[in-house]
Amino acid sequence: MKISYLHELLLFLLLILLQVLLLSRISLFGLATPVLYGYFLLKLPMGRNLFFVIFSAFLLGLIIDIFLNTPGMNAAATTLVAMFRKPLMELFFEKEEFAGFVPGMNNAAAPFVRFALFTIFLHLTLLYFIESFTLFNLGNTLLRIITSGVSSILLIIAIDSIIYRRKSGEQS
Amino acid sequence: MRNLFNFIIRNSHWLVAILLVAFSFYLVFAHNSYQRSVYLTSANRVTGWFYTVSGNLSSFLLLKKNNRELLERNAQLEQELYAWKAERDSLDRADTPSLEAFVADSLFLPQFGFIPAEVVNLSFSGVNNFITINKGSKQRVKPDMGVISHRGVVGVVSHVSANFAVVIPVINPKFRLSARLKHSENNGSLSWDGRNIREAQVQELPRHESFREGDTVMTSFSRIFPKNLIIGTVSGRGESADDNFVSFNLQLATDFYTLQDVLVIEDRFFEEQKALETMMQR
Repeated sequence: MKISYLHELLLFLLLILLQVLLLSRISLFGLATPVLYGYFLLKLPMGRNLFFVIFSAFLLGLIIDIFLNTPGMNAAATTLVAMFRKPLMELFFEKEEFAGFVPGMNNAAAPFVRFALFTIFLHLTLLYFIESFTLFNLGNTLLRIITSGVSSILLIIAIDSIIYRRKSGEQS
Repeated sequence: MRNLFNFIIRNSHWLVAILLVAFSFYLVFAHNSYQRSVYLTSANRVTGWFYTVSGNLSSFLLLKKNNRELLERNAQLEQELYAWKAERDSLDRADTPSLEAFVADSLFLPQFGFIPAEVVNLSFSGVNNFITINKGSKQRVKPDMGVISHRGVVGVVSHVSANFAVVIPVINPKFRLSARLKHSENNGSLSWDGRNIREAQVQELPRHESFREGDTVMTSFSRIFPKNLIIGTVSGRGESADDNFVSFNLQLATDFYTLQDVLVIEDRFFEEQKALETMMQR
């Protein structure tokens, strides 16, 4: 259990670094910015304490906010996503799975992709609508949500396949 | 009553989440007020240090290109200096009074001073674009000072901490500046529509104003920038909301993708002018 917490802390820090230093500076076609840090919420065990999930999501969003000068926007979006995490998980995964179950490409590829798709699009929709409150027209915002979402999900699938396949290979 | 307590205990994580979301939204809206604390922006010490390290790394990778640009600029200045020297020599003949008579007044203080600074962070992926630079109140940088690069206008300082400052660049929807074409005296309003990092828009020019692609656009009356600084060049006609005015797109002179070194403009008469003008408004 302790190793799991350490692992999560590492993922937390790495995702913040990656998002702040690299991904937030990307703007493909002036539209798509991969938003990867929501991956942290995907990789928490299924039965994890809800307070832990909500607080860590809030903290994650807040730290990203401080680096990107957008106080509150990312924090609000991630906290809202954390609230809907459990219902979404129950929708996509079988309830009999044990509490320590961590979804991933290695153990449940298809449900994991569906789960990631829903979570990331929920996150991005919230984020961009909070961000653009009055400034921009709807079409542009929707286009940004779709392009950013697709690029984020492709990245998540790729990264998850690489990291966790190697790990299971070492163990067996 | 017991049911109520049970309900609250069973759903307490929802309550916590709603409180946190409410707090986040409070931050979102408080962000827009001017008196926002500088500690939640990238000007605070930890994030500032962090961006300095990453800025150092990326500036190292861009050295070659910047070096070439500096050399070009240097050559241009050298040429100008040479022209001036030639002119001085032509004046300095036996039949003209010696130039010693024109020694500059040492009491004279030029209006504008320049504080060189380095960019430590750039953000231009979304709507809230900003730039962090590594000079702050210790180096006399204050809010509302203009920032330029060796190519043209960059933006305006908005928040300052001891060693860092946050700059609102031209490519931020909140940025406004009056601009004019080089060959004309009519003022328009410069803004950015959020579509393209290399292009901004000039609006509210009178309808009879004529312009062609490639015309130079410069600053006009402004509290923040000196007159006649280059902003960019005209790149095409834009959409205008009103028949009485024309607007056009312009290609920005500053390349925000590779921005490294900037100059903060210190207007030594800023306080004086402001005090005089507020006196008039009373």
